[in-house]
Amino acid sequence: MPDNAGYMWAAYIALGVLYAGYALYLFRRKA
Amino acid sequence: MTGTAEVLASRLRLTRWGVVAALALLAAVYVRALEFTPLEATQGAAQKIFYIHVPSAWTAFLAYGVVGVCSVLYLFLKDLRLDRFAACSAEVGTVFCTGVLISGPIWGKPIWGTWWTWDFRLSSTLFLWFLFVGYIVLRGAVTEPRQRARFSAVLGILGMLLVPFIHVSVTLFRTLHPQPVVLKPEGPSLPGSMLVTLLFSFLAFTLMYVGFVVHRYTLAKLAEVREAEAGDA
Repeated sequence: MPDNAGYMWAAYIALGVLYAGYALYLFRRKA
Repeated sequence: MTGTAEVLASRLRLTRWGVVAALALLAAVYVRALEFTPLEATQGAAQKIFYIHVPSAWTAFLAYGVVGVCSVLYLFLKDLRLDRFAACSAEVGTVFCTGVLISGPIWGKPIWGTWWTWDFRLSSTLFLWFLFVGYIVLRGAVTEPRQRARFSAVLGILGMLLVPFIHVSVTLFRTLHPQPVVLKPEGPSLPGSMLVTLLFSFLAFTLMYVGFVVHRYTLAKLAEVREAEAGDA
């Protein structure tokens, strides 16, 4: 089995930051 | 602050909890996918990117589909609420499409040996992203609400038309991209525990879309009410 767990973690962290970051942007955005 | 603005401000506090709940569900998907789903034998750990890549794509397509439907309805009904909802859905859809374009290459590098290739599925998804970034820029450039709504509706419909084409592109063209494993005529071809993780992820991402878009819509509505109040004062 190939050892490529680093790519898996990179993708999960990147998408976590993207979606949580967007939520944060919405929370901080002035109406 | 008027009654309407007060109601919207309190609704905003409620919808914020909706977003937090959806993010908690995403965290649960992470735990399920990373800890409680078996490794695929040939691709190894990188295959688990699939559990967040495919639902991101589904959600982006759902969001852009909603943009298209709202845009068609707007052109018939001329109701600015439809235009506002389409705009919110386009923004949220673009966030999910960005997720697709980030996670895809991270999977491609260990599996295909390259971050990117100008394959039809990949290229058309990138062009869809460009189209909706253009949609957002267009909305920022036109200030007259009716004109902005009409121009945006036309672009939104064109964007929606790309979505089914991108879905079937893997069967229409010679492509490196894997074929669908769930949404296909003969049914899903995935082992049980992997399918459960994927379906759970589909649910979480769909709820995340609902949470984001409802909160974004409430924000947009409140901004319009406050702008109107400032104009009256």
